[in-house]
Amino acid sequence: MKKEVVAMLLAGGQGSRLYALTSNVAKPAVPFGGKYRIIDFPLSNCVNSGIDTVGVLTQYRPLELNGYLGNGQPWDLDRSDGGVHILPPYQREGEQGTWYKGTANAIYQNIGFLDLYQPEYVVVLSGDHIYKMDYSEMVSYHKKAGAACTISVLEVTMEEAKRFGILNVDDGDQVYEFEEKPPQPKSNLASMGIYVFTWSKLRKYLIDDEADPNSSNDFGKNIIPNMLNAGEKLMAYRFHGYWKDVGTIESLWDANMDMLARNSGLDMYDESWPIYARTPIKPPHITGPDASISHSLVTGGCQVDGIVANSVLFNSVTVEKGADIQYSILMPGATVKAGAKVYYSIVAENATVQAEAVVGSAPDGGENWGIAVVAGGVTVGEKAVVSPKAMIREDVKGGEQA
Amino acid sequence: MNDLHGILFAYRSDANLGELTRPRNTCSLPFGGRYRLIDFMLSNCVNAGITDVGVVVHQSYQSLLDHLGSGKDWDLSRKHGGLRILPPFSYTELGHGEYRGSMEALAGVYDYLEDIRQDYVLLAWGDIAINLPVAEVFEQHLSSGADITMVCTPTLKGAPRFSEYVEISEEGRITDLSIHPTAADKALESLEVYILSKRLLMDMVDYCSAHDVTNFSRGVLQPRMKSLKMMPYVHRGYVGRFQSVGDYYQRSMDLLDPSIRADLFNPARPIRTKDQSNPSTYYGPDAKSTRSLVADGCFIEGEVENSILARGVIVEKGAKVTDSVLMQGTVVKAGASLSYVIADKDVTVNEGRMLMGHATYPLAIAKGSVV
Repeated sequence: MKKEVVAMLLAGGQGSRLYALTSNVAKPAVPFGGKYRIIDFPLSNCVNSGIDTVGVLTQYRPLELNGYLGNGQPWDLDRSDGGVHILPPYQREGEQGTWYKGTANAIYQNIGFLDLYQPEYVVVLSGDHIYKMDYSEMVSYHKKAGAACTISVLEVTMEEAKRFGILNVDDGDQVYEFEEKPPQPKSNLASMGIYVFTWSKLRKYLIDDEADPNSSNDFGKNIIPNMLNAGEKLMAYRFHGYWKDVGTIESLWDANMDMLARNSGLDMYDESWPIYARTPIKPPHITGPDASISHSLVTGGCQVDGIVANSVLFNSVTVEKGADIQYSILMPGATVKAGAKVYYSIVAENATVQAEAVVGSAPDGGENWGIAVVAGGVTVGEKAVVSPKAMIREDVKGGEQA
Repeated sequence: MNDLHGILFAYRSDANLGELTRPRNTCSLPFGGRYRLIDFMLSNCVNAGITDVGVVVHQSYQSLLDHLGSGKDWDLSRKHGGLRILPPFSYTELGHGEYRGSMEALAGVYDYLEDIRQDYVLLAWGDIAINLPVAEVFEQHLSSGADITMVCTPTLKGAPRFSEYVEISEEGRITDLSIHPTAADKALESLEVYILSKRLLMDMVDYCSAHDVTNFSRGVLQPRMKSLKMMPYVHRGYVGRFQSVGDYYQRSMDLLDPSIRADLFNPARPIRTKDQSNPSTYYGPDAKSTRSLVADGCFIEGEVENSILARGVIVEKGAKVTDSVLMQGTVVKAGASLSYVIADKDVTVNEGRMLMGHATYPLAIAKGSVV
């Protein structure tokens, strides 16, 4: 049962900045890039890195995520020893169960799970990033340095650095200071929220942190500063390549658009590092006599007879004749009827845009412009108009403006 | 419905399919962009709740093994039963080469048949494109009290010299079976899909191996037409049979008809296939795709019209593909032009090449060729 490396994937976040897209599902279960869900990226990275034991910590709206993960078979994580484990908070004898209070507390509550595997190293991942990364290289780097904790970092601009957790390092990339969103950053190394810990060390810090009533039980706010203060060796691991936090509507839309660009740095056609997904059973997509598709992704089960440009279509999307889709993301089962226009929008699962309706608009340079979102299952009525940046959670009647 | 067992025959490779069946048997012929022919009958079994399926193979079944794997994509990777590939194993005395008929094939897997847990068996060929409600066929079999139920189609599909036809009495019983006649003058064509009891099947296999009878239709069905109650199940949905290159082309083009797609890919009885984790298909800025069926993982920068593209096909800038069927991994380089072409797996058509067949005589290019 002993495993050298176990990964713990923090998937309990609500993702409140994705608004209507996460009213029914946890953020890691949000569809991404035509065929995937966000969680497919860290999960596939684990498997491709040779990590076969992954705990997925869930708490917010877990049903869809649980169903999606199932026994882990699409990621080759259906193992007789190890594999994927869904870890919700649970009650223990003699004490009241509590929700996961913070990222560190979530791992703390699962010390028992980790002890089952007695790992040397624990990789802590979050479920809201899009990237391809070989964690085994990071673990070797951590081992070689003899560190207690290694944090993966990305070089950003000094301006961007103000929005991230920033690591200040010496010449050997050893961390001497961690600053959360510094107004005057001293370095441009941003934490990517990917940690490798030596488990014996982390275990001790988690227990100490839990005993501190003033702690918010968070890796960035508590565990990392505590380790630094105690003089532990923390290393920064420099990552080069595509990485995107998709925690907001804009960044989610952006990252989907990146999937269209051949030079974004994220190559989905690279067979040496595949991203796996649980794929519904659908026939190939069909293009009709009046279809016009350019610079777009189209997936199984789609029926396209309208105009689709610069857009990402998930499985089973219908675009009728005369409909016009530009710079938009249509999630599984979305339907856009004849003559409707969808510009710069995200139309979520099984939503319907009726004939001649207009959703969103091209950027006009104004401050009120933004990506329009139609939530899952919602219907936008005939000739209705949905303004840019709108967040549509309920049906819009025909002819109305929302 | 767990009282029915599936036996699929997957050993014939039709010589008339030419280049298309040289590297494989007919059951593993790619079809419809992402399927192999066996996916249809295998999915029909699974969709009817059948949990145990034996696939009888004889030779050139490598690609079939690759495709089926453990059966997990059909939910047939089970602790008990599930999918079993059946190469010949008690088949030692009767010479070499292909099975001479399905009774010989069944005798070749005798031990497997003995261990069947179910009381009834579905016998079918794995090389027909059909979405058959097997559960309904089974229900009819049980309620009609038939000894053998034969699935038939009222719309003639096969070439007469490769097909079998039945004649029905007023009570709806099968009274005659003509095998490979010169012309099809009967109303119902047999799809050579049968349901019968395990006990009757075992009796027949015993009798046939004792009398060196190899052919099911000639050796069993015809002589026992009177003593056994044989009833047709009439399937009115789509049936695709593949007896020539022309057939293959026409059946592929059939899929561009929405009503045929709706029937064959009925979401209530989905056709399952091996999952390959392809990304979505990408269309470039100058791409054009109309009246086409396109699988995932393609990269299209040129023009595609009235065609079927399987997974991972690349159509470069300025290339033009019309009225063609391109199997997995076909690469059409810049400026090349294809019409009425069937490209087998991993064919590369180099820059500027022009290939042209005709609707009645499509040009088939062998697997892995570079043009």
